[in-house]
Amino acid sequence: MSAQASIAITHVSRSFAGRGAVVQALDDVSLDCPAGSFTALIGPSGCGKSTMLRIALGLDTPNEGEVQIGGMKPFQAAKSGMTGVAFQDAALMPWRTVEDNIMLPLDVLNRNRTEFQEKVTHLIELVGLAGFEKALPGELSGGMRQRAAIARSLVTTPQVLFLDEPFGALDQILRRQMNIELQRIWMESRATTLLVTHGIDEAIFLADRVVVMQSRPGRIGKIIEIPFDRPRRPELFSLPEFHQLEREIAEALDGH
Amino acid sequence: MATDAMTGRSTKAAPNATGTRFAHLATLRNWLILFALWEIIGRLKLVADGALPAPSSVLSRLWTDRADYPAHILATVEAAGAGFLIGNLLAVAAGVLFALYPVTARLARGINVAIFALPPIAISPILVITFSGMEPRIILAAVGCYFVTMSATVTGITQTDGRAIDIVKAYGGGRWQILRYAQFRSALPSILAGLRIAAPNAVLGAILAEFGGGGRYGLGVYLIGSLGRGEPDRLWGIGLSATLIAGLAYALFSVLAARLTGASKAVTVPASPPAAVKDANRLHEAGLVLASVALPFLLWWLLLYAMGTPAMIAKTPAALFDYLFLAPNSAASQAKLLAALAQTLPMTIAGMALGLAFAFALALGSVLFPAIIRGFMPVALVTQTMPLVALTPLLVLMLGRGPSVILWITVSVTFFPAFVTMAQGLSLVPRAALEVPKAYGAGPLKQLRFVSIPASLPYLFAATRLAVPRALLGVMIAEWLATGTGLGNLLNQSRGYLDYGMIWAVAVVSVLVSVLFYQCVIVIERRVLSRRGMAPAQ
Repeated sequence: MSAQASIAITHVSRSFAGRGAVVQALDDVSLDCPAGSFTALIGPSGCGKSTMLRIALGLDTPNEGEVQIGGMKPFQAAKSGMTGVAFQDAALMPWRTVEDNIMLPLDVLNRNRTEFQEKVTHLIELVGLAGFEKALPGELSGGMRQRAAIARSLVTTPQVLFLDEPFGALDQILRRQMNIELQRIWMESRATTLLVTHGIDEAIFLADRVVVMQSRPGRIGKIIEIPFDRPRRPELFSLPEFHQLEREIAEALDGH
Repeated sequence: MATDAMTGRSTKAAPNATGTRFAHLATLRNWLILFALWEIIGRLKLVADGALPAPSSVLSRLWTDRADYPAHILATVEAAGAGFLIGNLLAVAAGVLFALYPVTARLARGINVAIFALPPIAISPILVITFSGMEPRIILAAVGCYFVTMSATVTGITQTDGRAIDIVKAYGGGRWQILRYAQFRSALPSILAGLRIAAPNAVLGAILAEFGGGGRYGLGVYLIGSLGRGEPDRLWGIGLSATLIAGLAYALFSVLAARLTGASKAVTVPASPPAAVKDANRLHEAGLVLASVALPFLLWWLLLYAMGTPAMIAKTPAALFDYLFLAPNSAASQAKLLAALAQTLPMTIAGMALGLAFAFALALGSVLFPAIIRGFMPVALVTQTMPLVALTPLLVLMLGRGPSVILWITVSVTFFPAFVTMAQGLSLVPRAALEVPKAYGAGPLKQLRFVSIPASLPYLFAATRLAVPRALLGVMIAEWLATGTGLGNLLNQSRGYLDYGMIWAVAVVSVLVSVLFYQCVIVIERRVLSRRGMAPAQ
């Protein structure tokens, strides 16, 4: 278990100037993720979830407001190596082997590879890619690539973990499996996690609370607490309470 | 396949082994047919009373002359190799700079266009009088490499997958780390494709500098020296060895590219300088354009100043202006220059138009009769890497010294790259788009009219951009070596008379003419394509 840091998003606004029209991607959004919590962001396309994540990662800067990761500015937090990230499509470098891809954050952060060798071996086993260390991404299936990306996001032992639709490109069956695996991995690390997703069931299964966003302008509509204890089992998906929450979130998505 | 891993979709098509082997066989067969025909024609002395000797007699002459070759080949390879190294190092460095700081690309646009458009033969005498020894050859070889590799580098870096960049940024990576871990490696296939085209260019550059440069060794020297003796079999031997060297250089980098990157089949030559977003501020925009036009002249001035070449030989922009407009005999110089220009320009335009029309017709034919072209394409690709211009003396032998030889040479140097570009463009037309008219009962001609021709417009323009400097180069070389007319001849004569002012004037005028043509093509291209909502092809 690692030290944890919170994510604090305060009064963040971000607009993009398109052709003539200005799109308000985020309008005065505030959200606090306490250290060690698991928050899921859900919402229709264009509601600003990904923009929010990019701002928190330091890939984009807000017009107003600020984001703090463990009391630091996003880019500083990234440079100090306390954050981990996995994107929608694995975003592996096609010329690096699985192992080298997982070690990419170490290279960027100028850390010594040999010190992390054991950790990398452990991570590869954890995500079930043992034996594929030297394979190139092009030789793997979509699910395997995604698992390599998850392993990469964990290699620095991050205190804060950002997941941007990490299983968006997978089919429903694989997605369920990955959800169960992600929960297991997360329970080991307990990193403060922000998950952006389109899947209502995935959000409920994994998160402590689900933040429902609405679009035009991008804003937070409703925050729904998820009361289930961990570890959550696959049977959960068919419980009436689970369906009740699904309905509640779906209604919130419709703007009720 | 680089993008496949990134998008997480597996679109890798299984390579059809039997299909490729069949294609290889077809290519081999075509080459064999070509050689057999050539042998028959040569034996029967069908072309210009033996100006086209049979391959067998060329080979036997090569064997007789074998003692001459090593020194000449070594000299050419040495110059081409050094130029290749220097030119590409500069090109990659410049490409990285332009990609990372787009303002520098805007500033250097004038220099880039000038380097792309300059006919190497025009500046070869200048280099010869300003530099000494191997330097002119190395410089011209380097110039031949620069543009191709520079634009390949810029394209490669700017087309890096945004997600690969995001990953490095998300771990706090700065500009240089992004370059190191994401952009440079992802640009490598593109850079290697550039090097592959740059390699034969370097050989051609070295040979062209040897044409006008004296010196004892080098294939260009050997070729010029043998031209007057009327020994076709020897000329063919030299031309073929030059082609072989260029082809080997091309093959070497093809193998390297295949080894390093799996597959990258880019065979078209880039013909546009890096695009850059216009500055919103009008004043800034005007300043940038002005600076990019002024920079080449400034560079010209500074280079001469730094080298300390005597003012008698080295003409600065001001000295050239003086020579053409203020000096006592400037009227005579102007008249000579204009008369030469009046001979060269019509030929350039006619040759280019013919070459492009022929290429366009054959490229369209490749849509109607794909089977014929499939066998012909590999031959065309190989021919593209030949230093065709180095074969000019052979054409002179076969066609004599009349004006028709100019047209033949110009058509032959513009045709192949234009054909390859256009055929590639046509093959990129999506099948679905072709099938819509087909579904409504359209025949192949209607498909051409409604889909292929409109869709291939960007490639027609790209081919034209590519053809502009080549056409002028072809015309000037033919004039220099064969007809004794126009700018090419004026350049050659002025060398003899030590008329340094005129050498500079011809060089600068031909570069300016080429740049002007090029800019005209770009302006028309932008107008036409933007009205049709299309983007220029690389």
